[in-house]
Amino acid sequence: MTFVGRIVGRYRGADALRLLQEKHQRFREVIDENNRVLELIADAEEKLSGEYIFGRQYLKSLADKLAQSTRSVVYGLNAIADNRYPELVNGLEAIGAEVQVILGERRSAPGAKLILPLQETNGDLADVVGQKMARLGELRNKAGCRTPEGFVVSAAACQRFLDQLAEAADLQRWLDLPPDCEESALEQAAAGLKEYLARARSRARLPEEVARAIHAAVATLGKEHEGVTLAVRSSALDEDGELSFAGQHRSLLGVTPDRAARAYLEVLASLYSVEAMRYRRNNNMPPAGGLMAVGCLCMVEARAAGVLYTLDPGQPQNDVMLVTASHGLGKIVVEGTGGTDRFVLGRRQPHEVVSRSLGRKEWMYAPRPGGGVHKVRVPPDRVGAPSIGDAKLAELAATALRIEKHMKRAQDIEWALDEQGELYVLQARPLRIAPRDTLGERDLSGIADRYPVLLSGRGEVACRGIAHGHVCLVDQRPQLDKLPDDAILVARYSRPVLAAAMTSARAVITDVGTATGHLATIARELCVPALMDTEIATQVLRDGDEITVDAEENIIYQGHVDELIHYNLLNDRSYRDTPEFRLLQRMLRKIAPLHLKDPASSHFSANNCSTYHDVIRFAHEKAVEALTENYALKAPGLGRSAFRLELPVPLDLLLIDLGDGLVEGVADQSVVVRQVVSAPLRALLDGLTAEGIWSRGPADMDLDGFMSSATRSGDLTGPLAARPQLNLALVSANYLNLNLKLGYHFNTVDCYMAEQRNANFIHFRFAGGVTEMTRRERRAEVLQRILEQHGFLVERKGDLVIGSVKKISQDAMVERMQMIGRLIGYTRQLDISLRDDGRVEQLINSFMRGEYSPLSRRTEMQARAEILVLDDESIVCERLSDYLENEGYLVETLGDSQQAIDRLRQKRFDVVITDLKMKGPTGLDIVHFIRQQDQHTQMIIITGYATMEAARDAQYCEVVDFIHKPFHLDQLGAAVKKAAKKAARLRKHVDQ
Amino acid sequence: MKAKRRVIILDDEAIVCERLKAALEKSGFYVETYEQSQQVIDRIREHKFDVLVTDLKMRKPDGLEVMSFVKEHSPSTKVIIVTGFATVETATKALKGGAVDFIAKPFKISRLRDLIIKITSGQDE
Repeated sequence: MTFVGRIVGRYRGADALRLLQEKHQRFREVIDENNRVLELIADAEEKLSGEYIFGRQYLKSLADKLAQSTRSVVYGLNAIADNRYPELVNGLEAIGAEVQVILGERRSAPGAKLILPLQETNGDLADVVGQKMARLGELRNKAGCRTPEGFVVSAAACQRFLDQLAEAADLQRWLDLPPDCEESALEQAAAGLKEYLARARSRARLPEEVARAIHAAVATLGKEHEGVTLAVRSSALDEDGELSFAGQHRSLLGVTPDRAARAYLEVLASLYSVEAMRYRRNNNMPPAGGLMAVGCLCMVEARAAGVLYTLDPGQPQNDVMLVTASHGLGKIVVEGTGGTDRFVLGRRQPHEVVSRSLGRKEWMYAPRPGGGVHKVRVPPDRVGAPSIGDAKLAELAATALRIEKHMKRAQDIEWALDEQGELYVLQARPLRIAPRDTLGERDLSGIADRYPVLLSGRGEVACRGIAHGHVCLVDQRPQLDKLPDDAILVARYSRPVLAAAMTSARAVITDVGTATGHLATIARELCVPALMDTEIATQVLRDGDEITVDAEENIIYQGHVDELIHYNLLNDRSYRDTPEFRLLQRMLRKIAPLHLKDPASSHFSANNCSTYHDVIRFAHEKAVEALTENYALKAPGLGRSAFRLELPVPLDLLLIDLGDGLVEGVADQSVVVRQVVSAPLRALLDGLTAEGIWSRGPADMDLDGFMSSATRSGDLTGPLAARPQLNLALVSANYLNLNLKLGYHFNTVDCYMAEQRNANFIHFRFAGGVTEMTRRERRAEVLQRILEQHGFLVERKGDLVIGSVKKISQDAMVERMQMIGRLIGYTRQLDISLRDDGRVEQLINSFMRGEYSPLSRRTEMQARAEILVLDDESIVCERLSDYLENEGYLVETLGDSQQAIDRLRQKRFDVVITDLKMKGPTGLDIVHFIRQQDQHTQMIIITGYATMEAARDAQYCEVVDFIHKPFHLDQLGAAVKKAAKKAARLRKHVDQ
Repeated sequence: MKAKRRVIILDDEAIVCERLKAALEKSGFYVETYEQSQQVIDRIREHKFDVLVTDLKMRKPDGLEVMSFVKEHSPSTKVIIVTGFATVETATKALKGGAVDFIAKPFKISRLRDLIIKITSGQDE
């Protein structure tokens, strides 16, 4: 029987109850699948640390599992919510399709640009513009290097062309060649495709829009640079592709603008060289399934050109750079056919020439009129002359070091010097270790014997890498913006504020933290080597220490460990450069980021879900909504799963048991706290009902503020109420969704906590308030800062606060939920006392210190109020004085009004209590006297009779209160309290 | 000077071979990697290795067959099985076949490396 069938049926009694119970069951399944997705995501993010070895198998399996679980969540939601969100299914399948494209299982690259100008490229766009151009863009746009102008024909354009190819007859069988094909089939396909492309090239047959885009881009370049010719270079999407495409035309030089499209096709043809196809097959990919981007750069009128290595790969300890150079275009140097100059330069300033060897440069490459380049003879007077002078060499060296620093690896740089003496960077890539290097350099097992080890094997590697620098103990520094440029951040906690400082840090080390937490994720995005949870780093490492961090073996050495640093600089094949790593990164971009943060905003919709994380967040929220709306309707017989919770504080809370949130066999409609099994709710209630949180007495009435403390939800005649905005909690053993309306504050808490930390989370949302906006914003600030101090990630918009914490241990979760409970109680009346910005700090500190009654008189009145009690009956004086001293005041008593006046001349009191009827000067005389003396003393008159005249007289002097005998001490106490506060306030005004 | 321990790796995923080789070399091992089972069999005939790390799922001969060859021809070579398809059944088969340990992919480099260090340090006698 389907749910729809049941809904359509009569909604009544036992049927309705069963329906609801099924929905509860479905909801718990949705929560479980939701958690599975979160765990898969956390697991995958951890793989980005570099600590794991994984292959394509893992990636495919990850994609499948994610798709499956997310689908279950969505179907579960639609079952609970009566199929209200069909568009979510489409969204989900679209994301899945994009992930499959990334994995190379599907061909089309969705809607990307066909052409990107070089100024729009950078290191993150390797999937779009290929490695070579991404690096060039990075150097130009992020590292300030001078490069030629140009543009890139993107991978998407290549895809369009290949789609067109696929439509042509006969090519299908080659294009669809599977990864386990035979060698002969491979060779046939390669030959066939190559031939077809040669024919295509002769007719320059490109898809319309690609051809147009190329022509437009070339025309733009032509406008800015007259007579330009182009260098058209392949830019493979992965590095291996680059290496294995040997011996094909992959750089065409001197291409005239009219031949640009043809050149593009010629470069594309190298996709189907036998080597390229073989490489793809060996990596389990469809041999004809590659994509390529192509860069078109303006040719530099090179007077000289060549190659620079920022380290001597054979002898890195020599601290030198190697330069080879010749006249004309760099092609002659790369080919090695024309005699070259070799220079060895120092890596440190002033980059002097350590050695030079000038070759006989008889040949050079120059542009050929009409297009292309050709080899020409070098004029005799230049054959022996240096191709580049020392000053330019030094400039080149400085630029190269800047590139090395930016890329964090030793570099292999192609450069050119134009006729005007300007230096250009044409290409830069990680320096390859020469094939005949000795094994010795890669063996670093003996280092620990040669260098002092400060820490070893503590905590976890959150981001793999090697770094050298000086320790900056973050907690000792008030400002994190003036750090040295080789700072290694060392902190006790992984606070979000470290994230900003990390962009320029060499490494980060914490005492407390995890490899899956927020800071770890940022470290991986920034490629900053990170060690978390070491426990003792802040004790062992001192500020300013020079250290080398090996976040591969998890060892911290004192000093500068040459071998490690060179090893790192010469690591041409970091895990980040591997295709698998980049695939995982790209996949995670479609899976992990959360864009839907505020459930109440208009942005929170099925159509705005662009990642799996968005989808499950949306589904979760809507599932809660769908479930709770049942309880807004009055329907008999639903009472079985709804209970009223009895609390020691005046708060009405309705509990919906999802199945295992309460103890078994609850008979009544009412439960007490110890019958609640739900761990998150118990923790929250611990906090909410803690000592001092929910203050009993009336709060300090700041008469300028306004408070409505309607914590009761109105008349509840049963577990159900007519109004949808109830105080409502959905509970199961590990889960809580709580909606609270306290006064005008709307609180939502959504929490899952279990032993496995990766699925643990708390979402907290707070909005509303009844005072004017400034106070509400102050309240939001108090909340934000308290939450942040407890490790929450907080977003704040005006008076809306959204906080979340994830993936922390169960114990830590319990602590946080208790804190949330306390915070909810604490903020009930915050608005009132937030009358100025100074109070914000006070209130935050009070909460953090565990003082939950910021509104108590102790904080209000720093000094104790001083009271003078006048009464001619000593017994009265005694009794009053006892009582008032007990209340914390400083009390003096006198029985004689003349004495009183004398005393009042000497000393100011905050409050004077006097009987009206005294011998000698009457109470009223005293009142007059005081008024003349002092504006601030408050007065309370006790009288056995109050005549109208006396009252009028006294009122005229702004007497605070009359108290009639006989009276209760409490009455007096209340009056004195009021008076003392007023006096204190008036006095403070004066003092300021 | 202590002779380097020799490790031979068999896996059809090039990335596994590559990264494992780099990590083990850094820790002082001599490493050879192969993507085809027959290559490993031929190589083990020629030369002694202290450790074999092999994936289970290989084209014929598969990981288990390679392992039994090794157990016969070079019994002192310790074998570690890694695989992306880890089930209790395959684990049992591997361990019964003489593997020292069974590791599921994806795995932490440090874990495999520490295991190899452990099983080769006992070979000093």
